[in-house]
Amino acid sequence: MEPITALLVVVICVILGGEFASIGVHLIPVGGAPAAMGTATGIATGTIQLMLGAAVVGLFTASSVATFTNSILLVSLSGAVGAMMMMGVVMLMANIIYAFGAGVVPVSGRVAVDPITRESQTEYKTPQTDGHGVPNVSYISGMVGALIGGAGGALMYFALLNYANFPAGVAGIAAISIFVANAIIAAYNIGGTIEGFHDPKFKRIHKAIFSSFFVSLFCGVLVWLTANLGGLL
Amino acid sequence: MTVTPAVEEEVVVAAKPKKGFTFPGDETNLGIIAGVIATIIVLIPGLPAVIKAVGMIFAFLWGMDSVRKTSKYGLGTGVPSIGVLATGYGIIGALVGAACAHVVGSIGPVAPGVLGGVVLMAIVGYLSGVFSNHEKIIGMKIPKLERGMMELGMAGTIGILLEFSIVAGSLDFGLVVEKAISSGLVAIMFILGGMSMFHPYNACLGPDERRERTMMVSVEISGLLSVILGIALLVMGSPWGIGDGISLIIFGALVWLVFYRRFIQACMKECYATVGTGLIKTLG
Repeated sequence: MEPITALLVVVICVILGGEFASIGVHLIPVGGAPAAMGTATGIATGTIQLMLGAAVVGLFTASSVATFTNSILLVSLSGAVGAMMMMGVVMLMANIIYAFGAGVVPVSGRVAVDPITRESQTEYKTPQTDGHGVPNVSYISGMVGALIGGAGGALMYFALLNYANFPAGVAGIAAISIFVANAIIAAYNIGGTIEGFHDPKFKRIHKAIFSSFFVSLFCGVLVWLTANLGGLL
Repeated sequence: MTVTPAVEEEVVVAAKPKKGFTFPGDETNLGIIAGVIATIIVLIPGLPAVIKAVGMIFAFLWGMDSVRKTSKYGLGTGVPSIGVLATGYGIIGALVGAACAHVVGSIGPVAPGVLGGVVLMAIVGYLSGVFSNHEKIIGMKIPKLERGMMELGMAGTIGILLEFSIVAGSLDFGLVVEKAISSGLVAIMFILGGMSMFHPYNACLGPDERRERTMMVSVEISGLLSVILGIALLVMGSPWGIGDGISLIIFGALVWLVFYRRFIQACMKECYATVGTGLIKTLG
């Protein structure tokens, strides 16, 4: 591939991957420290730990699939499946601990009625708290977030591996680095905690997409520069 | 009546670190001193691993100070996020730096190309600081976040470059890719490099947090990282022979021991009371 064509393809793939990471972060239910005490909806950890974990699992599956196929769609989807598996297990285990360990039911603190299942939420919520656990709407939102985020990470990995001709290890670590940079900018946008697409904070997503575009653009150019100067193209 | 003991206490705390080695008191001074020392060391990739480890400690100390400076105001996502951001930028910057060094070549023992990665990452760091802090975009409203993120990009890049340089023995792009990244060592470098920047403030934050005490934790983790890199160096082989890895392990263990003891002593002296298992007290 010509260096200029490679620049275009790599930058577009990195921007797409970065935007996917940014959107994915807005969809996963992150509870942070309040969730650790069972007083807020979501998984009791930070955005970056969740998204990094999902992206790394996604990269494991994506890199395995990339060894025997050249289809960008298949590699991206396998990354999405890995990330969804990780996120699904984490959310399920969080719910088991909340329900059988802490004795609280999964309930949303932001909406009175679950937007998907139409189940009433308010009467199950402990007064003075902001919800507990991972309710149905957050679970589905989290799975969609992991799908989008995992596909973004795997897309970046595929682009760096095949279009920038990086060795597998370099492509993996560079994809994770760009992914976390975008995920963290998105995490700053939501201020640490979010329940999913039904959360009012989700409406701020355009700001993260705007920032993510430029951060990914610069990272994409830098990655291309590495491949070009390092003699890989 | 209550004023007098408080003043006395402050005097004691301020006078204590004067004995022996102290850290520069000002954030800007520390940034300049640590940045210059680490940059000079990273520019000469042929140095023995122990000297590079000294540069690495300074680079991560600078990064830790920037994490502390920005996280003080509350990021909302936890302190680790900004440290991981610094490491992520550091990896990209180090790759660009190694690739630039590949093209520019070296003048004698000096490889000026690596500075390309540091400068480019400073620009990206500054821009992400602007995006995060600008009130019309994300609007985090943290004073000097732009400068903090720029410094984090630079410190992360220099730190990761020095880690690559320790393991690969040079900053040649092919060697770095083969020895430091494809071998899988980059995963340890990523997370432990990040740990020495974000963990100190994450662990020590609170109303009685003291900068010198927090910094000891950063140096301590860099010491542990040196031990691990020394073991890696023994396995991978170094142009300086087997002594390079062994000296790095001994250096790392000494740094860890000295700063761990210092940290525990400082904690024991400055706290009101401790209740423990006795294990840590015996070491202190």
